[in-house]
This record gives sequence, C-alpha cells and structure tokens, in this order.
Amino acid sequence: MTPFEEQLKKALERREPSDGFTVRVLAHAKQQDRSELEFGSRFLQRLRSWRLIPVLAGALVITGGGVIQRHEREARGEAAKRQLMLAMRIARSKLYDAQVAVREVGR
Amino acid sequence: MKRMGSRSLLAIVLILPAWCADAIKWPASFERLAKQAKESVDVTLDSSMLQLAGGFLEKGDAEERHVKELVSKLKGVYVKSFEFDKEGQYSMADVESIRSQLTGWSRIVAVRSVNSENTDVYLKKTGDQIDGLFIIDAEPKELTVVHIDGPIRPEDLNELGGHMGIPKIGPMHGQDKNTRKDGKAASPETRSHADNFDDRGGE
Repeated sequence: MTPFEEQLKKALERREPSDGFTVRVLAHAKQQDRSELEFGSRFLQRLRSWRLIPVLAGALVITGGGVIQRHEREARGEAAKRQLMLAMRIARSKLYDAQVAVREVGR
Repeated sequence: MKRMGSRSLLAIVLILPAWCADAIKWPASFERLAKQAKESVDVTLDSSMLQLAGGFLEKGDAEERHVKELVSKLKGVYVKSFEFDKEGQYSMADVESIRSQLTGWSRIVAVRSVNSENTDVYLKKTGDQIDGLFIIDAEPKELTVVHIDGPIRPEDLNELGGHMGIPKIGPMHGQDKNTRKDGKAASPETRSHADNFDDRGGE
C-alpha cells in the first residue's frame, strides 16, 4: 500500500458520530421549520397592516372632520357672541337715550 | 287615519296664526335701506344662536357674565340699524310697517323731540310677566329697531350700562307721577313716563 492509499483508507473509514449529534441535527431542523413559519406569519401580518390602511384613513378623515367641525362651531359661536354683544350695546344705548329724554322732559 | 290627518291640519290652522302673530316681520324695504345706508347693522339671533353665543360668553368678564344671565331665557334678539349720509333716506312708512305689527304691545315710552329724534319703547306683557322689548329709534339720519324676544325688563338692560361704558340711570319706573294725563292709573312701567306716554299705540 502506498502512503496515498493508506491516507485514503483512513479518511474513508467509518467513524461513530459524536455524542448528541442526532439531537443537534433534529434541533436544527426544527429551528429551520420555525423560521419558515415566522416568515409566513410576518407576510400575513404585513397583509393585515395593508388592510388597516383604509381603516386608518377613515379614522383620520373622521377625526379631521371633527376638528374642522369644532373650528367651524367655534367661529360661528364667536361671531354670534360678537353680534349679541353689539345688539345689547345698541339696545342699551337707545334705551339710555330714551331715559335721558324722558328725564329732561320731566324736569 | 283620515280623522288624525284632519285633526293635525286643524291644529296647524289654529296654531299657525298665533305663531305668525308673535313673529315680527321685517319690511322688505329694510333691504333697500341697508343698501342705501352708510353703515348698517343686522343682528338676527334666534334661540339656538343665542344658546351658541351664550356658550362663548366668558364668566370672567363682568359684562359678558351679565349678558349671559340675561340671554339665558331669551328666545331671540334682533337689531336692524341704518345710518345714512343725509336726511330723508327712509320714510315714516318704513317705520309704520313695523309699528303696525305691535298690536298687543304696550308703549311705555314715546319721545318726540323738536329735532325729529323720535324713540318708542314697547313692552309685551302676559300678566305681570314681560315677554318682549321693542325699541324704535327714528332720527333724521338714523333708524334703529331693536326686538328682544323673551322675558327681559328695561332695568336688566340698564344694569348692563355700567359694564358697557354707558352711564347707569335710575330705573324706568318708580317716579312720583302715578297717573297719566288722562287721569287713569298707570302701570308701573308707565309711571316715570307720564308726560311722554302716548296711549294711541301707534301714530
């Protein structure tokens, strides 16, 4: 046998696996399965989040509408208040003039 | 079903005239006056608008607090005021068209001055309760009509005076003269104005 043949024989001779080899292989396989499943669920989640977009858009429109409505109501309220104060001032002033006239005539 | 319909119709027919009689209609000529006027004020606040305005009145401000209390029971506040560049821009017919609607109102003040500054103050009363105040102020270059619909006393407005920079004046009643020119007993509101009171309720 040549040294080369000797080396080849050594390299190809049957060796027993180290302790816990089977367990390690099975664990690795299990982990690979899990990561594939995770990828699938992530994809589904992403799909769900896309579905949420119209819901979020709707919510945004409703909230925005509410804010605009509140602003409009505030503007109308402030305008009504200004009108009311003006009306009261005019009424008060005209009544005052009438009272003064009445008093002057009464003297 | 038919009976119900006819009953509803009857109720509407009965209620509508009473409701219409309550509402003061602004003459169409007021729109023309608004266009002619140098300055015009048009305030129309029904009960819902008054409620809205009341919500924006601040309690911290004495004037606004007083107005808030005052308007809480009111049904409407309406003001039309026109200021003109020159005299003769409005006619007495414009004033009459308003005055003629005030049937059932008591005129408590009628001021007629030599320089044609005329002011009438009317109250609408149901028993002892005052249900409305109407002021018509006709000056050569100015016409102002104020209608406050709801329970309000002239004294309430007088109370506002101190807050609005207008000096306060004594109450509208409570002076010594308790009889009118015609010798009839005067209501409390007319006492202080015995000399000016005009019983004709419109001219």
